Amino acid sequence: MEAVLQAPRRSFVREWVFTVDHKKIGIMYGVTALFFFLIGGLFALLVRTDLLSYKGLFDAQSYNEFFTMHATVMVFLVIIPMLMGAFANYLVPLQVGARDMAFPRMNALSYWLYFVGGIIILLSMLYGMPDSGWTAYPPYSLTSQGPGMDFWVMAIHIVGLSSILGAINIIVTVHRMRAPGMTWNRLPLFVWSTLVTAYMQLFATPALAGAVTTLLLDRHFNTVFYDSSAGGDPMMYQHLFWFYSHPAVYIMILPAFGIISEVIPVFARKPIFGYHAIAYSSVAIGFLGFFVWAHHMFVAGMQMSAGIPFMISSLVIAVPTSVKIFNWLATMWRGAVEYTVPMMYASLGFIGSFIIGGFSGTIVAAVPLDMHLHDTYFVVAHIHYVLFGGAVMCIMAGIHFWFPKLTGRMYNEKLGYLGFWLYFIGTQVTFFPMHLVGLAGMPRRIQSYAPIFQTWNQVATIGSYILGLGTIIILYNLMVSAKYGRKVGHNPWHARTLEWTVSSPPPEHNFDEIPVVTDTPYRPYTPEELTASKESA
Amino acid sequence: MSSSSWLPAQLTSMAHNVDLLFYIMLGIITFFFVLVEVLLITFLIRYRRSAKNPVGAAVHGNNVLETVWTLIPALILVFMGAYSVRYVYEAQNPPAKPLVIEVIGHEWFWEFKYPNGLDTHNDLRIPAGQNVLFDIHSADVIHGFYIPEARIQQDALPGRITQFWVNVDAKDVGKQFQVPCDQFCGTGHPIMVGQLTVMSPDDFNTWMQTELQKQQAKS
Ligand SMILES: [Cu+2]
Ligand SMILES: [Cu+2]
Repeated sequence: MEAVLQAPRRSFVREWVFTVDHKKIGIMYGVTALFFFLIGGLFALLVRTDLLSYKGLFDAQSYNEFFTMHATVMVFLVIIPMLMGAFANYLVPLQVGARDMAFPRMNALSYWLYFVGGIIILLSMLYGMPDSGWTAYPPYSLTSQGPGMDFWVMAIHIVGLSSILGAINIIVTVHRMRAPGMTWNRLPLFVWSTLVTAYMQLFATPALAGAVTTLLLDRHFNTVFYDSSAGGDPMMYQHLFWFYSHPAVYIMILPAFGIISEVIPVFARKPIFGYHAIAYSSVAIGFLGFFVWAHHMFVAGMQMSAGIPFMISSLVIAVPTSVKIFNWLATMWRGAVEYTVPMMYASLGFIGSFIIGGFSGTIVAAVPLDMHLHDTYFVVAHIHYVLFGGAVMCIMAGIHFWFPKLTGRMYNEKLGYLGFWLYFIGTQVTFFPMHLVGLAGMPRRIQSYAPIFQTWNQVATIGSYILGLGTIIILYNLMVSAKYGRKVGHNPWHARTLEWTVSSPPPEHNFDEIPVVTDTPYRPYTPEELTASKESA
Repeated sequence: MSSSSWLPAQLTSMAHNVDLLFYIMLGIITFFFVLVEVLLITFLIRYRRSAKNPVGAAVHGNNVLETVWTLIPALILVFMGAYSVRYVYEAQNPPAKPLVIEVIGHEWFWEFKYPNGLDTHNDLRIPAGQNVLFDIHSADVIHGFYIPEARIQQDALPGRITQFWVNVDAKDVGKQFQVPCDQFCGTGHPIMVGQLTVMSPDDFNTWMQTELQKQQAKS
C-alpha cells in the first residue's frame, strides 16, 4: 500500500521483488514471518487441541507431524527471520546512519533464500510432513518414512545459508558503515545486540549444516555417521545440533533484548540505566552461549559428572541476563512511564513473563534436577516462557513501537491494548500449567497421556485459544491501521535514535545528508523540547 | 497414585535429596521472582507519567548498583551449582554389588532382563531395600528410561550402555508406578510405558524363579 502511495510509477515486481532496499527487504521479511507465524500458530493449536482429551483427539502420526512443524516453523521461519531479518534489516542501517546495508544485493539474496526455505516447508505439507521433532535425532530421523525429513533437511540448509549471509551483512554494516560520530559508546543498544547475534549466527550455523548434511548422507548415501552397529555414534549428532541450537536460543532472545532496551527508556522518558552494562552483557551472553550446549544432553549418554562444567556455565550465563533485567527496572525507576501498547508489551508482557523462563532455566540447568525434569513438560514450559513470554512479547513491543515509522500511521490503541491483554493472560494460562504436569513427570511429545494430567492440559489448551484470538486481533489491527490509521509525524514517541529523525516512512536512501552524531541516543526530550515539538506538529 | 501437578511420590532417599535441592532453589528463585515483579509493578504505578511527572530523572547509571546486581546473582548461582555437584556424584557412582537389571528399549516397549535369565516386557519389578543397577540400552532408536518417582532418567541408546541405580524404601512394597519412555521415538512413544512394582526381597526372588519356570515351560 505504502509502495503505491510513494512511487506509483513502479510495478509491484520492480518495487518489491527486485528491490535491494534494506527497508523493503525488512518489511518483506516481516510480512513473510508473520504469515509463517499464523502457520506455526495453527500447528500449535492443533497440538493443543489433540491434548484436550488424555486419549488424544488425533492419530499419533498426525500429532508428531504437527509438533514437528510447529517448532520448525516458529524457530527457523518466524522468530529468527523476524528479529534478524525484519527488525535488524530495517533498523540497523537507519540506526547507524547508513544509506543501506553493506551488501544490498546479498541482502536480497538472504531474503529470497529464506523465502525458498519457507516454500519447501510448505510443500512438505503436500508431500508428507517431517515427523521427527525439530531436533530430528537419529537414528529415529533416519527411519522416518516419506520425503518429509528430506524436505526438512533441504529447508534447514537453505534457511541456514540465508542466516549466515544476513549475519555477514550486519557485521560489516555495523563495523564499516557507521555515520561520523557514531562511536561504539553511542551505538544504539539494539544495534549492539544484533551485532553480537550476527556473530553467533556466523559461528554457530555451520554446525547445524554439518548435522543435517550428515543426516541426509546417512539417509540416502549409505554413510554410517549415526549407525552405531557400523561404528557410528548418534550422540555426535546431538553435539553438533546443540552447538547450533543452544546459541540459537540466544539468537532468538538477544535482538529481542535489544528492542526492549530501545522501548523502555523512550516511554520512561529517562536515559537508559547502565548503557555499558547492557551492551557488554550482550557480549558476555554471546561468548558464554557457546559453552553451554551440552546442558541439553545431561541424560543423553554423557557421564553424569561431565555435565558439571556445563551446569556451571549454564548457571553463570543467567548473570548477564539478570544484569539486563535490573538495568531495565532501574530505567523505569524515577522515570515518567507512559502506558503505551509497546511499553505494556515490554514491561509487564516481557519482563513480567520472561523472568519465569529465566528462573526455570536455572532449575533445569542443575544436573540433579534435570535428571528428573529432562524431556518433561517442565522443559516445554521453560522454553515457551523464554520464546513466547520473551521473544514474541518483544517482537510485539517492537512491531507496535516502529509501526508509525514503517507506515506513517498509528495503530488503533484500543485494539492494541486488547491484543496485549489477551497475549499476557493467554501466555500464563497456556504455559504455566505445563510446569505443574512436568514436575509430576508428564513426558513431552506425547499424543496421549495419563488421565491424571487431563485437567491442566485442558487449561493450557484454553490458554492457547486465547493466544490464537489475540493473534487475530493484533494482525487485524496492524493490517487495517496500515491503511486507515491516524496519520502521525516522523517522531510520535519523542525518541532519539536516528530512524526517528527522518520522515515516516523514511526516504529511499534514508538520509539526504549522512548525519553527524554528537550525542548518545538515550538523552530524553526536555520539557522545552517537548513543547517545541508539540507546537511544530 | 502419583501427584498430577507437583512432584510425585518419593521412592528413594535420592528422590528426597533431589526434592530438597529443588525446594532450596525454588525458594531462592521465588524470592527474586517476587522482588522483580514487585519492583516492576511499583515502578509502573509510582512513576507513571502525569502532568506533575512529565519527564524522568536524569540518572544514567550507578557503578555500585551494577556491581551489586552482578555479584549477588553470580554468587548465588555458583552456590547452586556447587551445592548440586555432590548429588551428581551420588547418582553417578553405583554402589558395590548391586542387583543388575538390563533395560532394553524397543519400538515400542521396554524389555527387562533379570539376573537369573528371566525376560519380561513392560513388567519391571524390584526388591525394596536393595541396590538395583539398570544397564540401559536400545535395540533400535533412542528411548528415554525414566522413573519419575525416583527422580531419575537416562536415555536408552543403540550401541552404548547408560546406567543409573536406585534403592527403593521398604515403605513402598506393593506399590506400582509407571515407567514412561520420555525420549521421542515415533508413533508408539506415548504408549511406551512400563509398569514398576516394588516387592519385598523374598517375594521378588520367588517371583523371579516362578516366572522363569513359566517362561521355560512355554518355550
Ligand atoms: Cu540450551
Ligand atoms: Cu521410546
